Amino acid sequence: MTTQPTLGDDLKRLEEIVRRLEADDLPIEEALQIFEEGVGRLRTAKARLADAETRVQQVLRDTAEDDVVRLEPLDG
Amino acid sequence: MSGLDEAWSVSRLARVLKDRVESEFPATWVKGELVGVKRYPSGHVYFGLRDELAKIDCTIWRSVAARLKTPITEGAEVFALGTPSVWEERSALRFNIVQVLPASAVGAAAQNVERIKQALLADGLLDPARKRPLPAYPRRIAVITSVAGAVVRDIITVARRRWPAIELLVINAAVQGDHAPGELVAALETLPRLPGVDLCIIGRGGGAKEDLAAFNDEAVCRAIAASPIPIISAVGHEVDVTLADLVADLRAATPSQAAEFALPEHTEITRLVSSLEARMRPALHASLSRRRERLERTRDRMASALLQRLRTAERRVLAAASALPAGLERHVRRPRERVATLAARLEPAITRRITRYLATLDRDAAKLHALSPLAVLGRGYAMATDDEGHVLRRTSDFRPGAPFTLRVSDGTISARRDTT
Repeated sequence: MTTQPTLGDDLKRLEEIVRRLEADDLPIEEALQIFEEGVGRLRTAKARLADAETRVQQVLRDTAEDDVVRLEPLDG
Repeated sequence: MSGLDEAWSVSRLARVLKDRVESEFPATWVKGELVGVKRYPSGHVYFGLRDELAKIDCTIWRSVAARLKTPITEGAEVFALGTPSVWEERSALRFNIVQVLPASAVGAAAQNVERIKQALLADGLLDPARKRPLPAYPRRIAVITSVAGAVVRDIITVARRRWPAIELLVINAAVQGDHAPGELVAALETLPRLPGVDLCIIGRGGGAKEDLAAFNDEAVCRAIAASPIPIISAVGHEVDVTLADLVADLRAATPSQAAEFALPEHTEITRLVSSLEARMRPALHASLSRRRERLERTRDRMASALLQRLRTAERRVLAAASALPAGLERHVRRPRERVATLAARLEPAITRRITRYLATLDRDAAKLHALSPLAVLGRGYAMATDDEGHVLRRTSDFRPGAPFTLRVSDGTISARRDTT
């Protein structure tokens, strides 16, 4: 459901990328590759910061149907 | 003193008194003894509430009387919640009661809370070491509360300001009354089945003290302790700390404060992103130039090592040739000439190999230099990579007919080596 990387994932990975570029003697290909990944993640992180919308859903438990859990949008 | 022509009517006085009393006096808990209890056929109940020094007339209207659980019995010591009002017809002050608790029960409730606290303490559930850190960037926060209350709205308000990217999953549960403990426990038990939830806020808005009972309930406290994810309690009471507060990983005074604790600050994160962006490019450049320096060092060491070996070999050949006895010279003239020829050929051969190797290293170094600020591709350098992303360094890396990618300043070009 939420397998897409979140802003938190992006930020964690970005910190790791910068740390590795700063610390390691990386092979050229890898340095370029993670740099490029970093540029991409920076772009998404900025976009997420710019236009994120708080989503609110209500958890409904259906006790009749083997206690199934459903999510429904809730008006905030 | 007002003049006679400005005299008030009695009804005006009664009305003003009523307005003043009723508008300026909040609902208040009063402790006292019930005296003169009278039940009327209408269903209303009238009595007095008194202590050693004073007494006040009280009313319990029929609708309230019907749902009261505490029996109104003569002489009982009670806590009564109400507001004073004035009965205009007689300008009589009445205390209108909406809730009654037996004083003995209130004492018993306090004792019960203490007993549960000791039990939780004995099981180690109040140990500060149990408290888990909150996730740095929560993705989904479960909120256990009554959807009828203001808790969800308060949290959304804070989220919009601090960290809009959050998703809230609201689990409805009564937070006061007899059903509250059971519903809160059921909600807590739902948590492990919600995908991606990494934090939970359990709470309610402010309220009267006896409404906190559900948050002092033993089953609720144990369900909080058993939660697989960190829990912030937000019982909405500045003064009273409930047992749920003690068991939770973090206590917030209000739901808004819980959201402040739970969510990172947007502006801080923006700063963090900017600083990462500022560090990334210089870090790449530094990484590439470290790589280049290492290549250059290796090249220099290899060149001198090879020359060293060549000189040694040369000395050995010359020494061997001159050590040959004079009588054998005839037999060895040809071989000796051959050695000399070989020695003469050897040097250029090794020199050629070194030169070729150095050229390769120089090419790599030059490529690195061209890449090092990526932007310098704009000077006209290009980098070739195969379809797996490996950099193509030598002519032999380009297989005839094989496709490759050329990276230039503003993007990439698909290319293919000539088959001839």
